[in-house]
Amino acid sequence: MDPSEVEFLAEKEFVKIIPNFSLDKIYLIGGDLGPFNPGLSVDVPVWLALNLKQRQKCRILPPEWMDVEKLEEIRELERKEDTFTPAPSPYYMELTKLLLNHASDNIPKADEIRTLVKDIWDTRVAKLRLSADSFIRQQEAHAQLDNLTLMEINTIREFLLDSLNCMYKLRSNLQPGATKGQFADY
Amino acid sequence: MDTPSYFPVPPGVGMEDNFLSLDDILLSQERLPVRTECVFPRLGFLEKSSDSQDIQEGTKMELPLWLCKGLYEKKRKVLSVELPKIYKEGWRTVFTADPNVVDLHKMGPYYYGLGSQMLHFDSPENPDIAKTLLQTFIGRFRRTMDSSQNAYNEDTSVLVGRLDFLEKVLFKSGQSGLNGFQGWEKGQAAQLTASSLVLNYRKRKIVDIQS
Repeated sequence: MDPSEVEFLAEKEFVKIIPNFSLDKIYLIGGDLGPFNPGLSVDVPVWLALNLKQRQKCRILPPEWMDVEKLEEIRELERKEDTFTPAPSPYYMELTKLLLNHASDNIPKADEIRTLVKDIWDTRVAKLRLSADSFIRQQEAHAQLDNLTLMEINTIREFLLDSLNCMYKLRSNLQPGATKGQFADY
Repeated sequence: MDTPSYFPVPPGVGMEDNFLSLDDILLSQERLPVRTECVFPRLGFLEKSSDSQDIQEGTKMELPLWLCKGLYEKKRKVLSVELPKIYKEGWRTVFTADPNVVDLHKMGPYYYGLGSQMLHFDSPENPDIAKTLLQTFIGRFRRTMDSSQNAYNEDTSVLVGRLDFLEKVLFKSGQSGLNGFQGWEKGQAAQLTASSLVLNYRKRKIVDIQS
């Protein structure tokens, strides 16, 4: 999967905006949005929020977790725990990038948030690698990926799957005759 | 993203090889030390060291893997295959001690592939070879993963230089994950680029068409 596809999925997340125009409810396949009233906050998907923001029709309210204190807390917890702690949002990396790139004037302390999220990401990816290594080392057959986000899985997916394939084949060497009769078609 | 104009067939790795995999074809050319168990009449020209017309019984020579696999039979002994030295006891001890120090590219470069293929030939050491192959892979996994996931935008030839062919394929897939993410983070994914097919396409000259 391409990271831009993951970003596309993240754009379906809801975010609060304060519009400065009025519009009746709009009916879309994905659900009804609105009504929009100037000054009243309303939930819309990120793709719409960014579009409205670019046309200067709204102000984006950052999600609750996008706050320096909360992120600092999460970062400390993430560093202390050996296992993965629940991510602030299943799309925290993508949302941070999208919102900070397009609406950094609506988010207080944007730079600090960027650094914090990057710290959290780095800690989590380091943990991911550590657990992938112990997964291979102990020759486990399955692993539980609690609290991992799609983007994190996506960066390591190809490599890990290929390695597991190789390991499986090398392991099936141990029982000769077990793999006979498996032909791949091309 | 960059899509190649064709998709390479991955190597088979295990005892079965992939007929269409380029790596497996190259692997089948690896030479193995063999000892003939019967006379090969009129094939003396294959063996340059002696002048006789036939290859005598008990000659030691090197044959490519594909030929060994074809000639080898359990019931009628035509030839016996000896282990290349990296699969012998001495080297196996080295791999058990620390697989990371070995330059598998120099020793192989098809260490895992050839090792798995060696299991076709009956030998009492087969289970040990299979075990060492797996342990070596596991032992070297961390290095391959870390280097492939951290080397962004730098010269990777030093990192790749000591890897086996199989590990190189893994390294490449690790790099594609890293490059994809870094490119996205920098916003390169949002830029539209021309397909490499279009860029490489050259206009045909009128002379070429006429001739």
